[in-house]
Amino acid sequence: MAVYKRGYSRYRGPVRGRWARMTVLPRFAWRRLFQQRLVVLLVAISMIWPLVCAFMLYIGNNVELLTGMRIEPEFIGFIRGNGQFFLVFMSVQAVFALFLAALTGPGCIAPDLANNALPLYFSRPITRTEYALSRLATLSGLLSVVSWVPGLILFAMRSSMAGSPWLRENWRIGAGLFAGFLLWILLVSLVALAGSAYVRMKVVAGGLVFAFFFVLSGASGIIKLVFRSDWGNIVNPAWATRRIWYAMLEIEPPAGPGVLACLCILAATMILLALVLKRRLRPVEVIR
Amino acid sequence: MPPPVVELESLRVRLGNREILHDISHRLGVSGTGKAIGLLGPNGAGKSTLILTLLGFHRPAAGKARVLGYDCRRQAFEVRARVGYMPETESYIADMTAVATLRLMAELSGLPPRTALEKTHEALFHVGLGEARYRELRTYSLGMKQMAKLAQAIVHGPELLILDEPTNGLDPSARQRMLRMIREMKENQNMNVLLCSHLLGDVEQVCDEVVIMNEGKIVYECNLEAERRSNRCFVELEVTGDDTGLGAALAGIGAEGVAEGGGRWRIVLEPGSETDVLWDLLARENLLVRKLTHRRDTLEEIFLKAVGRIAHTPGEHGQARE
Repeated sequence: MAVYKRGYSRYRGPVRGRWARMTVLPRFAWRRLFQQRLVVLLVAISMIWPLVCAFMLYIGNNVELLTGMRIEPEFIGFIRGNGQFFLVFMSVQAVFALFLAALTGPGCIAPDLANNALPLYFSRPITRTEYALSRLATLSGLLSVVSWVPGLILFAMRSSMAGSPWLRENWRIGAGLFAGFLLWILLVSLVALAGSAYVRMKVVAGGLVFAFFFVLSGASGIIKLVFRSDWGNIVNPAWATRRIWYAMLEIEPPAGPGVLACLCILAATMILLALVLKRRLRPVEVIR
Repeated sequence: MPPPVVELESLRVRLGNREILHDISHRLGVSGTGKAIGLLGPNGAGKSTLILTLLGFHRPAAGKARVLGYDCRRQAFEVRARVGYMPETESYIADMTAVATLRLMAELSGLPPRTALEKTHEALFHVGLGEARYRELRTYSLGMKQMAKLAQAIVHGPELLILDEPTNGLDPSARQRMLRMIREMKENQNMNVLLCSHLLGDVEQVCDEVVIMNEGKIVYECNLEAERRSNRCFVELEVTGDDTGLGAALAGIGAEGVAEGGGRWRIVLEPGSETDVLWDLLARENLLVRKLTHRRDTLEEIFLKAVGRIAHTPGEHGQARE
């Protein structure tokens, strides 16, 4: 029978479990995000560099194609896919991930706050933590598409072309690529969500994501100049993340704080951002 | 025995340094009976705080609050799975159509995706938004947004419907439609309704029980129908003929009357009496009735008495005090 003829009747059937419900918000959010042309365009552009890298890997691992070309042996080593190659790949994709987070992150929470939608969510069987995790999953899922997913595809491609001895020797690159991207995604997503929770205007919230990294990068430069110490880099989360990548990909690290210090500062930053989110995600604002 | 809809045990709620709800203990309604409870009170009485506490948005400083037998703090998940909430303020999800919003809400409440979509369409047609269901909610008029809020509150078929000022911003016909739908929810779908409103007329039309709050406490609770029956009836009468014996005759039926001259009388019937007894009396006294108007204690008078604005119903004992 047509719905308009049927009339309303109260639902009394079975309900889905908690985990199934957790997937609802990301599913709806992804559908909305991929309806935005700018998001689709940026995702498409983000795929150019992985394609270029795949091409380089193919060339680098097919020696006969390089015969007759005067190419430096180091460059050949690079395009064959060593740690340095994957570091460059990660660095470029990290920028795209940042742009994507700045573009999509503000749409996660800011509109819900601006239109007072949080009471609608929180009057349902969903907690504040679940809501925040769902939003984080939305953003992380999207950023994964341009980061570790193509990264692992490239790694698999390199492994298949170089054979299993290479994989046994260099599996840490794959693990480092995956973990390193996860760290970056988590940081960028939390920055975007915290900005989105604090600023109700999407444009401003997007600007806040860039401001976070640029301001801290500038501050780190000033500290380095004033104190003449490489430890100024510690306040730059992008540098700290990159320092961890160096360690994960087993590349000679730049001068400055070590991995442990960088991990600590990133953990502290993430906790701070999570607290900001917790403070802002309330169904009702209480004026004390 | 089914649990009460709302059960409060020495409930205290503090927001910052202020205590908003002071040691409230009360049981309201019986779950599964399809009855509506009206929550009345002047501004700042604590009605919204109580509702938000029941939803688990505010944490009680002391005491307990239970909804449908579930503790609002420890079993907030269970409570929210059984409750539909229509907030007072404008609330919607940006850039989403009514269908998408309601489907999202239904799925968050645990309905399977296909069923959620069916119930979404049902709810939207039910509230009269069938034709506008694929429009974005932000393009809706205020009245349509109110209806959409009701639709999202009922889409998952809750046992208890909590409505905070549901008729805000509605024109008279939309208001009547909203009240009719709320009545249908309780009568046809057997939902319990907790209605918070400043409009006493709305509460009077929909509710079976009324709770009046003032300064963070429940100051009065009444069964509206019983209250209506027990209230005294005030009559203004104008007759032609010899009414000299009317005063004594009125005393005979337990009523009090004051002659104002020219055949005009003010009469107070005893509780539970209807005007039929007066008509019979006037016929026996051979008096020709030129005018007879009567009224009972309105909810407004009950409300004003409960919050201490008036001591008596105006007209009662010929005195009115503000």
